[in-house]
Amino acid sequence: MSDIAFLLLIFFLVSTIFALEQGIPLVLPGKTSSNVKVKRKDILVVEAHANGAIVVDKQVVPIANLRGLIERRIAETEKLIVVVESHPDSDYGLMVDILDELRLANARRISLKTMKL
Amino acid sequence: MKFSRESKIENNIPTASMADIAFLLLIFFMVTTIFKLEDGLTVSLPRAETAAKQKRERIMRVWIDAGGYISIQDKLVRVHQVRDIMTNALSENPLLIVAFNADHRVPAGVVHEVMEQLKEANAVRVSFTADPERAGGRR
Repeated sequence: MSDIAFLLLIFFLVSTIFALEQGIPLVLPGKTSSNVKVKRKDILVVEAHANGAIVVDKQVVPIANLRGLIERRIAETEKLIVVVESHPDSDYGLMVDILDELRLANARRISLKTMKL
Repeated sequence: MKFSRESKIENNIPTASMADIAFLLLIFFMVTTIFKLEDGLTVSLPRAETAAKQKRERIMRVWIDAGGYISIQDKLVRVHQVRDIMTNALSENPLLIVAFNADHRVPAGVVHEVMEQLKEANAVRVSFTADPERAGGRR
């Protein structure tokens, strides 16, 4: 009897998985951080529009192609800073999708911005 | 003179029911334990393959549901209150990570407004909570 009870106890102890926090980490520029001047050619703006379209260099890019494009641009410009500019009415999910693709493309310098209307 | 012999009665504590008592206590505490759960809002998290594990003890969750309601520490708050909450939380835990548990349908503008408040409070470490498996969001 107690053998079975302990067996069950150990089974549940081992098999219990606690809910993990998984997320895309990012460090925001704080209040104290100073403005750093960057060259215009080092900046790549990825626009997330309200209709779900992703626009890079005035061209609509499907999300599946974004990763390759970013990888190519990073190969060209090593210090590339990717600015994710999202429309206030665009889905937050789209922004996370773009951030995910950027991380897959190994883009480390990321800046978030809202589109000025 | 002869002393009477000490009686041979053994004083044992009956231990046969020990296991029963232990299990009874175990079951009692199992049944009565209530885990403190944070009541956030119901959100359908966005999907991200690169979601990385975050240290739990450093995390403070900001819930934003599809309707744009913001909840922090079991309380519904307005955007402009976020700064003071985060300033207080940061003074307790300087390494705080603010996790956005936001619905993938929420307008990005709402998230950006909260982020502006975080910047003003100097809560610079954020994490966009995402589910590596959930089908929500993309494609």
